[in-house]
Order: sequence, then structure tokens, then C-alpha cells
Amino acid sequence: MALDDDDNPALAAPPPTANTTTATPDAPAEETAEDLLEDEGAAAQDFRVFASLFKKNTHISAQTIRKGEKDFESHGTQLQADTLEQSRAAMQEVLSYTRIHSGANLVRGWYFPSWWADYEEGEEWQDSKAEDGKKERKPFGHIRDRVVILEGSSTSTQNLGRAVTGQAKDRPGRGRDWLLPEEALYLVERGSLDLWWPTKEFGEIFPPPPAAPVEREAPQPENTDVDPSTQPTGASEDKEDEYADGFPLSLQAAYALLIGLDGTRGKISLQKFQVYSNLKRCGYNVLRAPPNPPNPNQSSYRLNITIKNFFSSLLPSFTPSPPKSGPLLKPGLYRSYNQIFSQLSLIERHIPSPVLPLPLPSIAPYEIHFLVWKSSQKWTKLRHPSPDFYLSVVDAQESEVPQMEEILGLLEQTPWAPPKREWEGNHGRLYARLKNGWRNVLMAVVDHGVINYMRWGEGGFGQERIYERFDGRNGSYRGGKRGWGNQGRGGRGGRGGGRGRGRGRGRGG
Amino acid sequence: MTMAHGRWNWAASGGIEMLTGILSLDNFTQFWIERICGLPYQCCFKMATSTSTPTHPPVRISLIAGRYLVFDIDAVMVLRRSFGLCGVLTGTMPQNPTQNLFLSMPQELRAEEARLVVDRGAGYVADEAGDHLRLLKEMSSGVGEKRREGYLRELREKRVAAKRLFDEEKEAVRRMHEGKRGKGKNKVQKVEEGGGGDSLFETATAVQPAPKEDLPAITPSTSNAMLDPAGTSGAIADENLPEPSAFYRELNKRGYFTTPGLRFGGGYSVYPSDPFKFHAHYLSSCYGWDEKILMLDIVTSGRLGTAVKKSFMFGAEREEEEGGKKRGEGEVRMFCVEWAGM
Repeated sequence: MALDDDDNPALAAPPPTANTTTATPDAPAEETAEDLLEDEGAAAQDFRVFASLFKKNTHISAQTIRKGEKDFESHGTQLQADTLEQSRAAMQEVLSYTRIHSGANLVRGWYFPSWWADYEEGEEWQDSKAEDGKKERKPFGHIRDRVVILEGSSTSTQNLGRAVTGQAKDRPGRGRDWLLPEEALYLVERGSLDLWWPTKEFGEIFPPPPAAPVEREAPQPENTDVDPSTQPTGASEDKEDEYADGFPLSLQAAYALLIGLDGTRGKISLQKFQVYSNLKRCGYNVLRAPPNPPNPNQSSYRLNITIKNFFSSLLPSFTPSPPKSGPLLKPGLYRSYNQIFSQLSLIERHIPSPVLPLPLPSIAPYEIHFLVWKSSQKWTKLRHPSPDFYLSVVDAQESEVPQMEEILGLLEQTPWAPPKREWEGNHGRLYARLKNGWRNVLMAVVDHGVINYMRWGEGGFGQERIYERFDGRNGSYRGGKRGWGNQGRGGRGGRGGGRGRGRGRGRGG
Repeated sequence: MTMAHGRWNWAASGGIEMLTGILSLDNFTQFWIERICGLPYQCCFKMATSTSTPTHPPVRISLIAGRYLVFDIDAVMVLRRSFGLCGVLTGTMPQNPTQNLFLSMPQELRAEEARLVVDRGAGYVADEAGDHLRLLKEMSSGVGEKRREGYLRELREKRVAAKRLFDEEKEAVRRMHEGKRGKGKNKVQKVEEGGGGDSLFETATAVQPAPKEDLPAITPSTSNAMLDPAGTSGAIADENLPEPSAFYRELNKRGYFTTPGLRFGGGYSVYPSDPFKFHAHYLSSCYGWDEKILMLDIVTSGRLGTAVKKSFMFGAEREEEEGGKKRGEGEVRMFCVEWAGM
């Protein structure tokens, strides 16, 4: 059963919990009895419906919904029908939840899709002063794609959104955080953002600051709402005054406005959003990759070429090739395996290099879409180390297994990521080195909401000379044998750490 | 399978009270059972093109950037209970936004599933972005003033209800604490809690929403309050929707549930019934009738299927060009392969 999809080990309830969850379905039973008693009171029923809408129902978990062992097939028993119905009812109850923002944690965002439409993307790499006075580049902002402006800030804006600097002082909404579509939708979906549709112009909702220095008022939503000076009183009646500037949007509307085809400004494709929110739920920090990443392989790594590297790259051309008619091995007396095997290596092997003379361009859809960091305290949206992962998102139905140049184009957009230093030298860490590869990239394959992550690595099987250890004292024969098998695999094109969990045939979709 | 259906039918024919008694369902669910059982449940499975008068509002399937999504939980339950469609839930769950195991609305459907729903007369596919932009612009320009008012009224009702619920919960907690302070620990308190149900409803009538408006803000899950009730605004003509493969149609007709086959390397994972309760029996791929199938494909898929305790099923539809039968109504043949492991 361990191989079945739904038997997620994390889902398998620990035995004691299993017992308690079996007990939980009884709770609805009691409630039903209660409800039947009180059925005549329509108000009570109302309450019941609304209770299910707003209560978080923390006692209902995935365990309740997928309670118990699955059966092989339907055997028409009442028991089976009951458990299925309970699962469905639990699911319905959980999914009926409505997102509520109670006063304290209300963060409001407004949808202004075309505010940055004409923003000059030329200044992609802005300068900002670091603490030590040095200037550093800000990560690319994707300003043109930012369509939701935040009122105030919250904990979530520490990692999301971007304030556009370098704006004129009298520009409305100056200094506010703007969200990318995926950031806004993710926040709406997790219930942390109330997205509003404006019925007024941008300048009316976010008036330009007065000539006096901007007072650091707490940017409460009420400030912009109720303050009569900032807004001319609308035609709406007094009690609806809060809707004078606009009105809240539903989750459905948020999807409709923020999800779009690839390449549409201010939108994101559903597949990418699904991957984005999946990673965010896992706790990763995710940023959109800059559209044309300045190639890391050419500039800053040039210093890393040592003379030894230089010579080793020339080595293959110095080894004398055997005469065309053979023999492969020059007759003579050999005292080491080294000499033999180096003569036998006829086929030129790929040698990963930190510097690419002419990196291949990436070919859509095999492009790097997201930069991913493991969660860390120090990470901020403006200052962060180089990414832990480079991620490409492809659709399972619309794409094939990438061709050689496609995967190379993808890999060569990622920086040189050699195996760790502590893995060097020791033959025991051979597999760690091979698995890591010299460059690597993640690929998220999305099949209608089901995501599968794959890792592609630039293998360096030619770097691992197994035969060098045959000459050791008492030559450990076993190690040699294993080495052979391994090299054979390398010949197949260096799949790196691929665990063989392919995306399947993708047919019939 | 059929046994189970028979039972449902019997339930529909008048045993609702008994059924709920046995199943111990809450009111809300009972309501749905009634609704759904009113629909000829068996027919849905037996007749592919039964356009029975639906007792539920038409299911709105939102087409957004080429993807088919359902946002209404009631619609999701209808699809699950009476059309054998479980789709994939893809959204973050607001109650618990850091878990990835069980996800929330919206539910993503495959294009052929969406078409199937439309063909059954149970719903329609709407161009959601276009429709929303049109409605929202109307609502903000004054043309749709009525719509805007209706939308806000409904929103306000929900907010008032939420506020009331919060107040009641607070009140209940306060009472519980009072009870704790005032009385002993064990049994006395239990009695107090049992009585809490009554006091809860008493306060429901007593507590009026405060005149000072500090209602909580709400993000509704659907735009239903904005759309015309039972209307089909933004609907896309059927012929613009991709046809379901006859292979899939046949599976659905026979009551099988399918999910995307990505996890197991096939076109679909095929479940004998609701995946909540059953394991997938097959991983399946669909071929053309005259398409040559590589032996290697069969061996790899067959082995893979066996490794995950499923059998590999493949099939195709016989295409009869001049036979009068349309595409999608021809004979479908399916075969199963299991690795013998001799």
C-alpha cells in the first residue's frame, strides 16, 4: 500500500488519533438530533448554516475526510455508503468555509491593473544603499506586472510585494507596496487579504501626499475610507459609505482577474500559480525570476578558472589516438591500470565547466520561472543570498520531455553549482557528487492541479575516474566493479540525480 | 456497484428521514441528499446523454486562461455525488494555510470533464475573466447600480451573520469561564456545557449587531451574488469546448471516477467509485483505434501499474465514419494488462 498515491505517510493517522477521529463523526450526529429538535425554529437553522460557513472546524482534518482504510471495491453495504457519505459531508463542511477578516488583521488591497502599465522597465537594476555605504542591486521588480496595491502593511508584506522607489514626490500612492498577481491571489486564498475593486480613480483613493513631509500615520484602512477630506462624498447612502470607493471581490473574481495566459501583463498562468502557492504553503520563499537573467556563468565566475582547469580542458587533445586499424591498446608492458584505461577512453566526455563561452538560450516553455529559497530568518524580499533552487514550470499535457538543447538551455541559465567541497576526493562520496551534478534545475510538471517536481542535473561522469583507484595497494576489486556499472550509466547522457519518477506518457489527456 | 445505486434509489423514493436517521447527517447535507436524490441518480450513470431536468442550479464552470475551475462548493458536491466527477482541489485552505495534504476550492476540471457536464445539461462553461470585467465595470459605472446594491446587500447579510456568530462564541466562552469559576470541575461543568446549546440560541435573539458598525470584512468564495441567479452569463457555446474522448465518456458512464494520471504515469487514474473510499484500480491511457502501440509502452506501463497495485488499462474508440454514429458514440474497447511476474 505504501506505493499508492493517497496513502501519504503523513496522512496516515497515528493510531490514537485514528480512534479519536472515528469518534468525531458522532459529533455531527448529536448536532443533527439537536437540529431536528429545534427544526421548527428557522433562526436556529440559519445559525447552523452560518456556523458551518464561518467556523474553522479545526477538528475536521484530512483524516476525517479520508477516514479509515480504503476499500478495494464497492460491496453495497450500508456501512460503506455511510462512511463515504460522512467523508463527503465532512469535506463539504470544511470547504464551505468563508474567509473572514476581523478588524485587527484586516489587510486591504486594491486592484489597479494599469497603473504601472507604462513603467519603464529599463532601470531593471536599481541601486540602493546598503548599511556599509556600498551600493547594491535590488532584485528585479517586475513592476509592470504589479496590479494590486496594499493599504498598510502586514506580516505578509515582509516577504511579498514591492514598493516602487524613485517616484515623484507628488505621485499618488507613493511608497505603498504593490503585489504581483500570484502574491495577491495567494494572500486572498489563504484569507490574509481583502481584495477590493475600485470604483474611483487611483488618485482619489490614494491621494498624493500633501506638500508637507508625509506624517507616518498608521495606514489604517479607515484613514482613506472615512477621512472626508480625501474623498468627495459619494452618492451612496450613509450606511453604505464604506463602499464609496469600491467593493470587495470574491475569490472567484480574484481568479478571474489575476489568472491569465502566459505573457499577459499583470496575470499569471494557473499552472504557475498552483506551483507558487504549493511552494509557499511548504514554507519556501519564492520570487519570480527576472525575464532575462544576466548570465551568471559568464561574468562573475571568470576568476574561478585556474591554470589547472585550463590545462585539463586541453588534455583530451594531447592523448595520442590509436591507429585506425587498431590495436586499441599499444602492445607493451603495463605496470598500472591507469595507462591502460586512459588509452581506452576514446569517446570524448562532457566536462562541466564553470564558464560557458556561449550559453545556450533557454527555449520556452523550458525557462526559469521562479527562484526558490529555503525558509530562513534572514531572507527578505530585497536582500537575500543566491537562490537555493531554480524552478521551471511546464504543463504535463502541452509539453514533451525536453530535447537536449532545451534542457541544456535551461541548465545553462543556472549558475555553476559544483558538488560540495567536503565531498571531494573521497571515493565514498562519489554518488553524492554525481547526484548533485555541476548545475541543476528543478522542473515542476503540472497535470490539472497535480504537481510533480523533477530535478535535472548536469552530470559529470567523465570527471569520476574510477580506474584511478585500481592501482591502489591490494586494489579493492569490488569498488572497481561498482565503478564500471556506474560509468555505463553515465554514457546514457548524464541524467544527474533523476530518480526515475518520470512524468509518464502524458497521453489521453 | 449497482447494489449501492439501488439503495440510493430506495432512499430517494421516500426514505429520507430514515436515511438521515441512519446516516446521521446534519441538516445541510440532508438538504443535498434530497436535492440530489430527486435527480434520477441511476440514470446519470446509465444514460450518457440524459438531459433530465436538473434540480440544482446550473453548475457554473469558470474558464480562466484555458483552465476549467469550479468555485461553488454546492456545485462541487453535485458533480461529485451525481456526475462521478471529483476533479482536483487546488486552492489553499484558509483554515489551515500551511498544509498541502488536503486542499480547498477552487476545483480544477479537465476540459473533457467540463464538456461532459455541459452535455448532460447540468451546467455551463463561462468565460470568467470577460464576464467579470464586464459586470465589474457596469457596477462601477452606474449602469449596474442595482446589481451592485444586491451584491453589497448579500455581503452585508453575511457580515452581520458572521458578527453575530463571533459575538455568540465570545459569549459562550465567557459563560463557560464563569461556569468554571463558579462550579466544580467535572460533571457539573459538563451539564453546564450541555445547557450551553440553549443559551447559545437565546443569545442569538438577544444580541443585536451593535449600532456602531464594526462588522468583519468577508471575502466571498464565489461571485454568485453578483451574477444573475440561475442565469448563464458569459456562457460559451458548446461547440467551442473540446470533445471528451469516447474512452473517458465510457468510463464515466460506467460510474468510474478519474483523476489526472500524472502520479502513476498514465492518462488517468481510474477509481471504481469515489476516491475518498476506494483505491484506484487502473491507470489508463487512451489510444486511437488504428494507432500502433509500442510493445515497450505496454510493458513499461504494465509494470509500472503492477508496481503500484493497479493494472494498466488501455482502450480506443472504433471510429465509424459513415455509419451514422457521431464521434464519441462508437464502440469503445478496453484491455487490461497486468505483469505476470513469472
